[in-house]
Amino acid sequence: MQISRRALFLAGLALSGAAAAAEPIVTDNRVITDDRRLAILEAKLASLQKQVELLEDVKAIERLQQAYGYYISEGMGEEAADLFSDSPTASIELGLQGVYVGKERIRAFLTHESNRLKDGEIREAPIMQGVIHVAPDGRTAKARWRTLVMGGMHGEDGTWAEGPFENEYVKEDGVWKLSKVHWYVSMIGSYDEGWHRKPLPAPGPLADLPPDRPPSEEYQPYPAFYLPPYHYAHPITGQPVVWE
Amino acid sequence: MRIAASISGRGPALTVALVLLAMSGALHAQSSSPSLSPELEERLARASAKADAIAQRAGRVADINAIRNLQRIFGYYVDEAQWDQVADLFAENATLEIAGYGVFVGKPSIRRYLLSLTGGRVGLTYGQLNNHFQLSPVITLSADGTRAKGRWRVLMQTAERYEDESGGNWGSGVYENEYVKEDGVWKIQKLQLFVRFYVPYRDGWTRADSRATLRYGRSGVRPDRPTTFADYAPYPARYVAPFHFEHPVRSGYRAGPPPASAAGDTAAARAGSLAELEARVRALELEVQRLQAHDQIERLQSMYGYYADKNMQDATSALFAEDATLEILGRGVFVGLDRIYEYMRRLGAPAPGSLFNHMQLQPVVHVDPDGNGASVRSRLFVMFAAQNRAAQWGEGVYENRFIRENGVWKYRNLLGFQTFYTNYEDGWAKKASPIFAPFPGYPPDQPQSVAYDPYPAVFVPPYHYRNPVTGR
Repeated sequence: MQISRRALFLAGLALSGAAAAAEPIVTDNRVITDDRRLAILEAKLASLQKQVELLEDVKAIERLQQAYGYYISEGMGEEAADLFSDSPTASIELGLQGVYVGKERIRAFLTHESNRLKDGEIREAPIMQGVIHVAPDGRTAKARWRTLVMGGMHGEDGTWAEGPFENEYVKEDGVWKLSKVHWYVSMIGSYDEGWHRKPLPAPGPLADLPPDRPPSEEYQPYPAFYLPPYHYAHPITGQPVVWE
Repeated sequence: MRIAASISGRGPALTVALVLLAMSGALHAQSSSPSLSPELEERLARASAKADAIAQRAGRVADINAIRNLQRIFGYYVDEAQWDQVADLFAENATLEIAGYGVFVGKPSIRRYLLSLTGGRVGLTYGQLNNHFQLSPVITLSADGTRAKGRWRVLMQTAERYEDESGGNWGSGVYENEYVKEDGVWKIQKLQLFVRFYVPYRDGWTRADSRATLRYGRSGVRPDRPTTFADYAPYPARYVAPFHFEHPVRSGYRAGPPPASAAGDTAAARAGSLAELEARVRALELEVQRLQAHDQIERLQSMYGYYADKNMQDATSALFAEDATLEILGRGVFVGLDRIYEYMRRLGAPAPGSLFNHMQLQPVVHVDPDGNGASVRSRLFVMFAAQNRAAQWGEGVYENRFIRENGVWKYRNLLGFQTFYTNYEDGWAKKASPIFAPFPGYPPDQPQSVAYDPYPAVFVPPYHYRNPVTGR
């Protein structure tokens, strides 16, 4: 008896919780026909299916972006390039090196001498702190991430490099691909002396592989201050967050 | 009878769900028509099959979240050398391999090995640090959803003793792990760690040789089997830990349901009544809402860090609920949104020569059963610079609470524990800051809620969760 009273109490709690969480379903068939009840369920299921697809999209985009980080860390430029869409507008822009447009130009950049891993070189580039927003139609997405790169040549001074990505994605035939990689360099610094004593300049455009477009924004890394724009409004106020 | 059995044997969340299903089914059955027309029966069967397919897909998203939580929970226990808790995350016949060293086979062997890393005892002692950040997951679920693989990064900050001239150690590597779902609980089936470097802070990775790295994970307990990866070698050699996953674009990786979905077959048998489907859809709506909450809260934590990085103090403050509390390091508790704005503004505006990076890492997210609150453990990793003269590293752990107000998630309680702050020139093991006291002339509304000393003392920030495998 004790248990069933507790069960009733719990059921009451649960029902009130569900009622607050979702639109109530009227189930009295003096008011609503079975046909109408089923139509409501069908509409709800269609909505749920869309919502679950968007949840799956978030996971697929995280996976794609992390694969990019692992390929870059291993100097696998071909693999990284093949994560991009074939769209002629796909692009990559790293730091102040300018914009490469289209998959073959992206490939040329990512497999360029300066992006290969030479003997004794290291480039640990963990991808972290994602803010993923999938468009309501589930066809495109944007995300902010960051990396803290541990780099350098063995036997020389090591380097720290840090900054956020503002990337874009497109879903083609159900497969998510990179459509835009844009990494902002916030800081490059010496390991031996620290970023505060020996900040290093960010590399500019490659002389022997000039970019298709110059850097899309004018800024300098630390010690200068720059706020790489957020692709999202503030989640609570709905206002853009900017610095003037 | 079934309800009573459920209550005695399972946790409260499941009990509520079962009772809800049972009660609503019973109530609605009375008000349903005795029979549906053949046309409606067919539509009902189709809708029911669709509900099954959606439930299966939502279940796979929940599995990925559970595995991400599991590996991150593993990392927080490793940080504290809580080896009993670590070993309990493994399946009975699991293996643990340190590439280049060897394989430990079975839970007892894994436990013995882990304990040997701290001289046979659980927990760190004064001056020891064992931070193992768990980063960058690539999770791949099997088609049947009972097994999974995951590639992760580890970033290590460790120390053997305090006032050590080496400053401590940096480490970096990759895990390629396997997981198994047993009785609905995910466990680690195979852990493989490939360390790229493990080097003294003073020297850094480029000036240390591979012998430094090969010290990692060695103890008096010998592995049960030799390493599987005979060609493994640490930096400066080139070695790529084998990838468990195919190239996501070349292989056409799809986010959606598994290729061989069995949902269609089981649907017909479970069509049930209209009222039963209504109850199932209600339960599904709550489940999907909780999965959305999980993602929204991870985003919110990340956004907090990106605003804090750039001294966007008002944007950071506006992430909090009206009655929120804020407690960072030993500064005490600030109560209410106005006080949080004041606190944040005291941290100042952005300035050239200053760096205020607040990396928000390794979130372990648990959304409440009702979907209206959530708890998160996460990691703070700080890089500071001031006026080109001073730079610092900082590391700590958050235990945060979030609430949903009118459909919008907000910070309810932010509680940040200090593990260490150290000057760039020193490294944590050489010299670390004492706990940050309240701002001079700016007392908090309440004193520090948990008294502790940071590294080099030993302090385990309380967990909001129990061990996901044992419930301990």
